[in-house]
Amino acid sequence: MSLPNESLSKYSIPADIFAEALVRCGIKYVVTVPDMLQIALHQRLDRAIDGIFSINCTTEDQAVETAAGLYAGGARAAIIVQNQGFYAAINSVRALGLDSGIPLFFIIGQFGREFSNLGQDPRRSKRRMVRMLEPLLETLEIPYWRLETHNDEENIEKAFYSSRERKGPAALIVGHFIGFEN
Amino acid sequence: MALTSLEACSVIAKHRDGNIVVTTMGAMNAMDALPPHPLTVACVPLMGGAACLGLGLALAQPTRKVFVLDGDASLLMELGGLVSVAQAMPGNYFHFIFNNSIQFAGLGNLPTPAQHKTNFVALAMAAGYAHAYSFSNKEMLAASLDEIFQKNAPAVIELKIAYEKPILGKQRPSIEMTDARFTRMGDELRCIRSTLGIPAET
Repeated sequence: MSLPNESLSKYSIPADIFAEALVRCGIKYVVTVPDMLQIALHQRLDRAIDGIFSINCTTEDQAVETAAGLYAGGARAAIIVQNQGFYAAINSVRALGLDSGIPLFFIIGQFGREFSNLGQDPRRSKRRMVRMLEPLLETLEIPYWRLETHNDEENIEKAFYSSRERKGPAALIVGHFIGFEN
Repeated sequence: MALTSLEACSVIAKHRDGNIVVTTMGAMNAMDALPPHPLTVACVPLMGGAACLGLGLALAQPTRKVFVLDGDASLLMELGGLVSVAQAMPGNYFHFIFNNSIQFAGLGNLPTPAQHKTNFVALAMAAGYAHAYSFSNKEMLAASLDEIFQKNAPAVIELKIAYEKPILGKQRPSIEMTDARFTRMGDELRCIRSTLGIPAET
C-alpha cells in the first residue's frame, strides 16, 4: 500500500512540538542509540537550541546505564531507541529499571512499521518487530503510551511523569516518523 | 608481582574524598571489605554496566571525580562503552580496569577472551580517551595517582591484578546469590542522590 506524504503527515508529530514537551519535562539529556523514525528529533536536539544535550552510545544497554547514572546524579534524561534496540537492552532494563527501581523514560520508535498499519492497531502489524513491542512491555510490567497522531501529544509528558511516579521504566511508543521542521 | 584487588582499592580509596565510586566484579568485593561510603555504588548484577553508569554520574556531577572500578571481563561485555565515554569526554572520569584476565575470579577462574592478546591501554587510547596508564605494582600506583588526577580525562588506569584460587569444586559446588545482590544497586544509587542533596522528586 502506498500513501501520499500529505496523508502520512497526520501520523507525524513535529520535532519542535516534541522537543518543547521534553523541555517542559525538565529533561537535560537525551541518551540514545539513534532511531531512524526520530531523525528529525535527533537533528533538532543536535542544534542545541533546547538546552538538551544528546549523548550517543554504542549500545542500548549503555544508554540505559548512562540514564541511570544521570538520574543518580540529579539530571533528568530521556532514552531514545528503536524497538529492536529496546529488545537488545532487556537485561539493563531489568537490572536498573525493574530490580533497582530507577525511573527510566523510554522513547521507542516502531522501526519497520508498514505504512498500511498506520492508523491501525500496531499489534496487528504483519511485522513481528512491531507487533511484539507492546506485549513485551506488558510482560515486563512497563506502562506505555502511544504517539500515533497529534491527539497523542500529551502522552509525551504522561509517559515521563509515569516513570517518576512509579520509580521505574515507562515508555512512549513513537508510531511513525517525527516531522521535519520547515 | 601483580597487585591484589584489595591493595588497589585501598590505594584508590585514599583519593576518593567527596568523589563518586562505581564498582563491579572483583573490585566490588574488595571495596566491600573497606569501610562503606555513601557515594559508592556497586553495578551488580549487571556485568558490563559500570562504565556507562559512571558516565551518567560524571555528566550529572561535573565538579566531582567519578572513579569507575571496572573488570576486564565486564568491560569486554560492553567494549563499545569506551567509545561512548570518549565521545562524551567527561573531564572528571577515571576508569580503572582491574585486569586479571579471568572471569569468576576466586570462584571458577575461567579465562577471558582477552587473556593473552588484548591491550586495554591501546584500546582506550584508540577509542579516544585522553590518557591511559598501566600498573602492576602498588607503590607505583600510589605514587602516580595524584599526577594522573591532575591531567586531562577521561583516563584509563589498567591494573594488573592477581587472583585467588577458585573455591568452587566438589567440596563446595555452589553458592547462592543473596536477595541484597539484586537490590543494593538501586539502594546505593538512591543513597548517592540523597547524599548529594538531590530532591526526591527530581
